[in-house]
Amino acid sequence: MIDNWMTGYWPWWLGSIALAVIAVGFWLLLHKTMGVSGSWANVVGWRDARAVARAEAPFRVNAAAMGDALLAATLAEFGEQATMDSLSGGGAGIAAAPAAATAQRRTPWTAHFTFLVSLFLGGLFASLLSGSFVLRFDLGATYTQLFGSGWQSWMMLMLGGGLVGFGTQMAGGCSSGHGLTGCARLAPASLLATALFFGTAVGVSLLIQMVAK
Amino acid sequence: MKTLSSSAQHMIYGGLGLGLGFALSRIGFASFGQVHRMFIFSDLRLLFTFAGAVALTMIGFRILARNQRIPTKPFHPGTIPGSILFGVGWALTGACPAVAIVQLGEGKLAAVFTLLGILFGVWVFRQANGRLFRWDRGACD
Repeated sequence: MIDNWMTGYWPWWLGSIALAVIAVGFWLLLHKTMGVSGSWANVVGWRDARAVARAEAPFRVNAAAMGDALLAATLAEFGEQATMDSLSGGGAGIAAAPAAATAQRRTPWTAHFTFLVSLFLGGLFASLLSGSFVLRFDLGATYTQLFGSGWQSWMMLMLGGGLVGFGTQMAGGCSSGHGLTGCARLAPASLLATALFFGTAVGVSLLIQMVAK
Repeated sequence: MKTLSSSAQHMIYGGLGLGLGFALSRIGFASFGQVHRMFIFSDLRLLFTFAGAVALTMIGFRILARNQRIPTKPFHPGTIPGSILFGVGWALTGACPAVAIVQLGEGKLAAVFTLLGILFGVWVFRQANGRLFRWDRGACD
């Protein structure tokens, strides 16, 4: 069927199937939408994630404690009379259930770290198995032809990487979260984001190609 | 929904990451040359790969998760400028946030510089968003 599937690049349909299986599997297994830039945010902001997890820990063990804490905070904020008036219409326990559910579903930042490290291992195994693994200090012939080699090209990569990191965080997603999962759900923000980052990359690439010639 | 234990989450995230890294590498998304030739439309294989993946993911969600409410990302003031900045970075490095890691796995040591840039960029935006913008960019946990 595919004579060189272990050595050459996969035909487009095989790549499509693989990416779709992973994106759909991500949702079915985790009930999260796949987003690599989101994992980066969790890993870089691990202190924040850890602080939130610690603050929520008592409520994971005892959901009723969330209701008590909310009631105490309400009393402190609005006073006893207003709180009692408000409570006579409803109940304090109602607020606790969704909050506790949220606390249970949060992913530890270390799982996002595992995800990023396993991307590295996936690339390593793929290149070793296909015989294309080569330790090298550049990104290949096309890159060297366009940007040169050595420190100048490495600084360009650092600048580009900075734009990738900043831009994906600012846009709230990257090619996996907006491009694949978001577009597959026809989310307007994701369709716009994908059109913009793809269109911009096309424009800049054409410009680089013209300047380099 | 049922709660996954921490070790189960690590196993699942690890397995999915392994699969994604493997696939991105074998597709050629971690090759600067392949990605550049997609962007200048001289080789459309990656474009078909991506379009096909979006279509199949759409069908997969419709069939396997038809009664489930899958969250979508909200539009916010950072969507447009952020996407444009990402587009420039992708053209310069051939890397999105996943691919830079896969490139390093393939032995391309120059990707270390891309990764340092991404780390710095993510950190700078988190600082800026906490102090200046305070946008809600949707749940990112």
